[in-house]
Amino acid sequence: MANPNTKFLVVDDFSTMRRIVRNLLKELGYNNVDEAEDGVVALGKLKGGGFDFVVSDWNMPNMDGLTLLQHIRADAEIKHLPVLMVTAEAKKENIIAAAQAGANGYVVKPFTAATLDEKLAKIFEKLEKAAA
Amino acid sequence: MITSENLQEPTTLAGHAQALTPQDEMLNRIGHVTRTLHDSLRGLGLEKIMEQVAQEIPDARDRLKYVAKMTEQAAERVLNATDAAMPLQDAIQSQGNALEANWKAILANASVKSEYNKIAHETLAYLAATSKNSAETKALLMDIMMAQDFQDLTGQVIKKITTLAQELEKQLVQVLVDFSPNMAKKETENHLMNGPQIDPENTADVVANQEQVDDLLDSLGF
Repeated sequence: MANPNTKFLVVDDFSTMRRIVRNLLKELGYNNVDEAEDGVVALGKLKGGGFDFVVSDWNMPNMDGLTLLQHIRADAEIKHLPVLMVTAEAKKENIIAAAQAGANGYVVKPFTAATLDEKLAKIFEKLEKAAA
Repeated sequence: MITSENLQEPTTLAGHAQALTPQDEMLNRIGHVTRTLHDSLRGLGLEKIMEQVAQEIPDARDRLKYVAKMTEQAAERVLNATDAAMPLQDAIQSQGNALEANWKAILANASVKSEYNKIAHETLAYLAATSKNSAETKALLMDIMMAQDFQDLTGQVIKKITTLAQELEKQLVQVLVDFSPNMAKKETENHLMNGPQIDPENTADVVANQEQVDDLLDSLGF
């Protein structure tokens, strides 16, 4: 079930999408949400610590979502963080690349609240199993 | 092409220069084709059209930017409104639920006068409906909020088109520069007044040393 203290970082260059994801998370019971507008800002915030979950777009200026994911996986301090990609990139090779880079889930825009809920639940379930 | 006829012609240096090598003749012909193309473009008014297109692209870009700005503003307004409305709906629902519970508790008390019963039941029905309706309104508000994701998606497409337009503009301007009326002047410059070659080894149709100059002259029968 939703742990309301789970701290999310929502990474997207469009403020509209950040707000939408933030509101959806709030509706799902997660009130602890921070935002970043690109991979560089996100990485800075993540390295500062305190985050439990990353929801990231792919196509962003400065540092894209895949590169962000690769940086996360390469950093011993934050490599354990679950990362859910939420992106308009819909090519098979994108999805494969994200999976190979260690993404925990992949949601294609436009998406529904139910899809986000389902993917989050799946990721948390897997994490719990892995921890048990 | 070098034919015996060419070689037998009266030997002014200019006459020989015109019949230099097959490469020279090829370049000459390309020059003519280019000139013809240029003249045709002008004749057809295409040059003007291209110039116009190149000028209009920045305008198209500005319009796309305007679309992006306006849709973003509209999406923000909607999100502000749904953000404000959702807590109101939450309050209506939770207060309705609390009143409903209170009324039910009072009705459970046998001492309540019968004349209150009718209005109490009506109130209960209203409160139940309120709870159901606010839940539905909230779902609709969420739907309105989700619909604003178009701004991200159309925005990405507009960005792509803007980049494309920029590229197209650059190339059109380059075409215009290449085919500008100054071309004739440039052409002569290119032909005979190029100054020292800074990278002869890697430049076509340029000699690299005196030996090559002599060989060339030899081959022409000088």
